[in-house]
Amino acid sequence: MANKGQMTRDKEQLAEFSPCLETTIAGVHFANPVLTASGTFGYGREFADLIDLNQLGGIVVKGISAEPMAGNPSPRIYETDSGMLNAIGLQNVGARRFLEEKLPFLRTLRTRCIVNVFGYATDDYVRAIEILNHGDGIDAYELNISCPNTRCGGMVYGSDLRLTEEVVAASKQAARFPLYVKLSPNVTDITAFARVAEAAGADALSLVNTFVGMAIDIESRIPRVSNVTAGLSGPAIKPVALRMVYQCARAVKIPVIGMGGIENAEDALEYLIAGARAVQIGTANFYAPDTALRVIEGIREYCRRTRLQLSEVIGSLTVAPFSAAQSIE
Amino acid sequence: MYDETVAVVENRPLTGGHFVLSLDSARQAQATRPGQFAMVRLLGRSDVLLRRPMSIYNVASAVAPPLRAATDAATLVQDAAMNPRTTKQDAALKAAATKPAIVQLLYKVVGRGTRLMAELKPGDYVGLLAPLGHGFFQDEYLDRAKAADEILHVAGGIGIAALLLPARQLAAGGFHQRLFFGGRTQDDLVGVDEFAASVSEVVLATEDGSHGHGGYVTRPLEEYLSRNSGKNFLMMVCGPWAMLEASVKLARRYGHACLVSMENRMGCGLGVCLGCCIHVNGTGHGTYERVCTEGPVFWAEKVVWGDKS
Repeated sequence: MANKGQMTRDKEQLAEFSPCLETTIAGVHFANPVLTASGTFGYGREFADLIDLNQLGGIVVKGISAEPMAGNPSPRIYETDSGMLNAIGLQNVGARRFLEEKLPFLRTLRTRCIVNVFGYATDDYVRAIEILNHGDGIDAYELNISCPNTRCGGMVYGSDLRLTEEVVAASKQAARFPLYVKLSPNVTDITAFARVAEAAGADALSLVNTFVGMAIDIESRIPRVSNVTAGLSGPAIKPVALRMVYQCARAVKIPVIGMGGIENAEDALEYLIAGARAVQIGTANFYAPDTALRVIEGIREYCRRTRLQLSEVIGSLTVAPFSAAQSIE
Repeated sequence: MYDETVAVVENRPLTGGHFVLSLDSARQAQATRPGQFAMVRLLGRSDVLLRRPMSIYNVASAVAPPLRAATDAATLVQDAAMNPRTTKQDAALKAAATKPAIVQLLYKVVGRGTRLMAELKPGDYVGLLAPLGHGFFQDEYLDRAKAADEILHVAGGIGIAALLLPARQLAAGGFHQRLFFGGRTQDDLVGVDEFAASVSEVVLATEDGSHGHGGYVTRPLEEYLSRNSGKNFLMMVCGPWAMLEASVKLARRYGHACLVSMENRMGCGLGVCLGCCIHVNGTGHGTYERVCTEGPVFWAEKVVWGDKS
């Protein structure tokens, strides 16, 4: 009988424990740590019939440039094992049309709105930001210095320390809203870029963008994607992306947002435990639009079960001394 | 558009590696307009992520096993036997018996995704996002159809899947129609019987000459167009790129309106991945349009032909 009483008390306490999933990144307050990644969620509205957008922590909209962009010729995508290649070429409506046509809807949501910004030269980034600064309802910028699919485009910035410093510093100076910087994984040591971005004024980091890859049709002997090389995303990249998030979270003091192949709450929790203050859902939005909502629910369940607040989960990775010495730096 | 997990009712093999997949989804079947498409997701595969885009070939009220609509109908029949029938019941009975409850997809095994689809059995589940895209019956299309002496359907291979529903709807509206259908071999000429009831003539062609005209279907099409140069046609075309391009050239040469149902690899079907964009006549951002959202049906003049991009 005593046991039964104990069990009842445990149950009651368990029921009472309602974990707090709130997280703050560079002054932007999120109801939960789950955002949708740029380029995988359009301008939000496209998913309004499928999921309750107000449940999301944040939406990072498709990359916006100062002027509208046409993008790359078809074929632009190709499915690979547990992943996909894309070379869209940053097709977008441009900053002005974004403010007029897309932002008013996003403003009606409780969900935080992050605008991904890119350009071909530092001036382009600054020009896009100056236009977007007029947008009420934007919570932060995510500077895309890492798109692998544009000629003379973002990747040059994302794989060059001096250019990274230059574009982050100039953008920070122009930006009216907090500046997140999205890093490229296509570098030898991502922590060097994390540190440079931090020093140049980044308020937070998000990582990673896609990995440059390719696929070939052996019958026609032509590339599967017109751009020849394309960005790999999806579950295939998760272990590598997770390693990079872990390294960067230890290398800088500013918050890190983790992404790469997240399909469920377990994936997201790995990133959070590795030190990410929030996560982004990318490719999974294409084939399972309810992924972000399932991830939020799963994180809540995990916190309930472990009786941990989200803040206690973040960065809670325990590394034994000997394995830390062996880990790749 | 609904995102649902639906049961396989039947996965019927046809010739040449073609199958008709019947899925139990009344809501999606009833929302379908001719020319729209669906995205099929294989469940339980961590290596195959993306949904596959497929034309909605047909919607049906029932295939053999008991289905929702059929069950409703049976209940109504029972009720009716026990109670005096009312007009309302009669109407409901009729509606339940005729309302479509099944979405049918015609596909050919060409790669990993379709190979896995071919293994689906009744009772298995798939993810179905449907109906998607603009079909063949925008108001502007209908006006052109009404102005035409005859509607010419031109199908290449699996492209036939996009044309059956439009042909049926047009037949119900009393339109004159004709089908030109080409394939590599006679095994590719699937679904001809289903189509035949809606058109006055079916013209078949095979590249290997195993059935109908030998060579490309555009040859008998051109003969027909040149024989009937005084007539006004609306062409509806779906098939591989080269065949689309050849048909569009003929439409232009003979001065007929032409609609094309485009295919492309798709990541999402929702208009966000921009993976399915095709090159169209426009400026700047408008140089590319999404097959999934602005299409899949376009006026032939809208599409930039020639460079396959």
